[in-house]
Amino acid sequence: MPAELVLEEPVSTVTEIAENEAASETLQTSSGPSRRAFIATATGGFMLQFCLPGLSRVAQAAGTVAPTQFNSYIQIGADSSITVLFGGCELGQGSMSGLAQLVAEELIVAWSKVKSVSAPPSAISYITGGSSAIRTNYLPLRTAGAAVRMMLIQAAANTWGVPVSECMASNGIVTHTPTKRTLTYGALAPAAAKLTPPTNPTLIADSNLKLIGKPLARLDIPNKVNGRAIYGIDVRIPNMVYAAVKHCPSLGGTLASMPANANGITWVNLGNAIAAVASNTYSAMAAIGEGGDNGGGGGANFNWHIPASAAQVNSTLYAAQAATLMASGKPVNAELIGNPAAAMKTAASTLTATYSFPYLAHACMEVLNCTVNLTSTTCEIWAPTQASGWVQATASAITGLPLTAITVHTTLLGGGLGRKIEQDYIAQAVTIAKTIKKPVKLTWPREEDFGRDQYRPMVLARVQGGLDAKHNIVAWENRIVTPSILAQRGWIAAGAEDGQATEAATGLPYAMLNRSVDFVAHPATVPIGFWRSVGCSFNTYVIESFIDELAHQAGIDPYTYRRTLLANNPRFLAVLDAAAQLGGWTTALPAGHARGIAISEAFGTVVAEVVEISGATATGLKVVSVACAVDCGRVINPDSVTAQMQGGIVHGLSSVLWGHITFTNGTASVRNFNNYRLVRMADMPVIKVKILSNTNAPTGAGEPGVPPLGPALANAYFRATGIRVRNLPFFPAASTMSDG
Amino acid sequence: MTTLNINGVVHNVTVPDPNMPLLWVIRDIVGLTGTKYGCGIEVCGACTVLIDGSAERSCNMSVSEAVGRKITTIEGVSADGVSHPLQKAWIQLQVPQCGYCQSGMIMAALENFPGGDGSGISNVCVCGTYQRIKAAIVLANTL
Repeated sequence: MPAELVLEEPVSTVTEIAENEAASETLQTSSGPSRRAFIATATGGFMLQFCLPGLSRVAQAAGTVAPTQFNSYIQIGADSSITVLFGGCELGQGSMSGLAQLVAEELIVAWSKVKSVSAPPSAISYITGGSSAIRTNYLPLRTAGAAVRMMLIQAAANTWGVPVSECMASNGIVTHTPTKRTLTYGALAPAAAKLTPPTNPTLIADSNLKLIGKPLARLDIPNKVNGRAIYGIDVRIPNMVYAAVKHCPSLGGTLASMPANANGITWVNLGNAIAAVASNTYSAMAAIGEGGDNGGGGGANFNWHIPASAAQVNSTLYAAQAATLMASGKPVNAELIGNPAAAMKTAASTLTATYSFPYLAHACMEVLNCTVNLTSTTCEIWAPTQASGWVQATASAITGLPLTAITVHTTLLGGGLGRKIEQDYIAQAVTIAKTIKKPVKLTWPREEDFGRDQYRPMVLARVQGGLDAKHNIVAWENRIVTPSILAQRGWIAAGAEDGQATEAATGLPYAMLNRSVDFVAHPATVPIGFWRSVGCSFNTYVIESFIDELAHQAGIDPYTYRRTLLANNPRFLAVLDAAAQLGGWTTALPAGHARGIAISEAFGTVVAEVVEISGATATGLKVVSVACAVDCGRVINPDSVTAQMQGGIVHGLSSVLWGHITFTNGTASVRNFNNYRLVRMADMPVIKVKILSNTNAPTGAGEPGVPPLGPALANAYFRATGIRVRNLPFFPAASTMSDG
Repeated sequence: MTTLNINGVVHNVTVPDPNMPLLWVIRDIVGLTGTKYGCGIEVCGACTVLIDGSAERSCNMSVSEAVGRKITTIEGVSADGVSHPLQKAWIQLQVPQCGYCQSGMIMAALENFPGGDGSGISNVCVCGTYQRIKAAIVLANTL
């Protein structure tokens, strides 16, 4: 008979041997009065259920309360294998492996014995976003792993009738040291499951860490080199039909009439879109006239009702509105230090610059898709999602089924980048399944993925700086005009300050006595969302370009100028110096080459990048190299951090060189990759990454590599050409890609 | 009935439309999902397969063009899925991030394997793994 044991304990009782880090890391992880509960069940193995109370920033912004229910699990198999189940997802960032690495460390097992899978969603599940998987769950997961280890050791001591102090765990085996008797974790699991989890698990001391900080091979990679990795788009279920969706060409429009079902196509009205259902993906896409050059000869003619307001969804109009709001909009103050207005009047010199940023697409390699099997009593969903808990809620609202009747399988994600937090494609798939009463896989044609993204918002930002005679910044006024992601979702009041729109513009590391940062909400209705690094993706460009402009005005080397402004900020200074050294800042450049530098903090992580370019003209440039230094606190897997910096740099590079989407009559200018150029092999710089490792609490890795790239590139480009790029992207006329 | 030779196996399949791109026949009808849909217009390369040893973008190649030719997909690179030198190097250097484009990348690299450094590959990787892809191709040449 399975024994069951429940214990609840406050998370604040967690302690750690390494006293120097315990305080700061506990602060990171104990958000509110969270309680963790352990349940161990003896069912031929062992499963520790526990609650990871951390919420990613998106969940917090949505008003989600911290979870108190079980949402994560550590399982020990009879063969002593370890499975870590976590409610997040693997979208390429490697954190599912990184989290398993923490558990493997505390359980003292070989890495080859560990698996990592997505946990089934609970009512409040983790949302993958905000570069938070490791930094939010680092200490709780280590604690859970340590609890399991102590229970296994206790079980062995009980079996042998010896003191715990005579037993040690290693490599999946507990040994009674004096007699050399051994038992495997798998053999001990049933007895361990009957024990009370310790109230105060003892973490492995820093000096004994064997896996944390090592570049272990990621668990998801082997199946990504042979086609066996299953992404959402690869799901196949029995008797499944295939759907593709086409939205109204104009935002705000709806379907006016339904075509008749014919030629094996069933149509489904989705309100602002229509779905074609067929026996295969190609036929469904062809029916709507998308999915390829020969997409069914244009597909059916659809009748759309397009409201007059669609004409207002227009980028030229938006730019004019932004300029008006910049000049005379009613600002909300996000940060005020000292009296910048007064200080500006007495400054020895001033400088003002205005920067503009376009809408950007996520452009995940895997288009949006979702597979649904709906019956009268159950709903099973397979989806590449960053928010499995929300998927459950979405399906419940449409089907009327209780949450407990809805099973969500989180597949691998072919990129997420913030787009796969959203629920639009999930809701469509569930609606189609409900309408046609068949298992169905919905796949968005690439044209729809670009045409109906939830875009990185457009921005107009202005900075005015005042310098004294010694080039110190005595006044700084920054105004940011942009639509608010949070207000558009109703998560904050319309017009209220959106902290994600002003992030990286506030809390600057530089010495400046008087500073104000204002936010003005732009009324544009284009759907906007969370794009890798969110507000940092534009604010850091503004700040780090403008610092460079001030350095130029002062006639001081921009690295030296930053060093002076950061004199009292040792963390930033160390990262800046490391990047400058790695990028050879003080070394001679070949003819025609130029360097730029930038630094920023995002998601708790400080990154500095030095970009070297060559062949810069008014219409193009070649990025030769990028040197990146990063301080993200304690590093779990340095190779994963390096990969994220490399990826962030490439992502940032594509976006500033070419990325832009404009709107006319509510229609996006981009429908496919041929008009949305991304860095390819021939464009690649050599990227070098230096990690400044330390034992501070882990901070984010997925996003912080992006922000400094743009301004470092712009600063290099200015040095090469005298052209200061204040309106993004650099080269809109070069933003096409052809085949081959 | 359409007869296709995929990874040395003969598949007799019913194709609803002779213009149907090879990509969708491979994925939806044959059921090999390692070959990916990315753009449908031969730009991104996620759908790359080998046709008689040449890298081709299958998203816009009608299935009828592939009849009578040897088609190799990512599933056919090695029997165990990890032992081809390119696969070994890809794992050793931890190339993939999200991994979605990597089937196409490996197939593009396979066309000229062994040899070269992949600098001629024009496939798209949004995760930005190009530097590791290049290094892995160079490493695979030595394995």
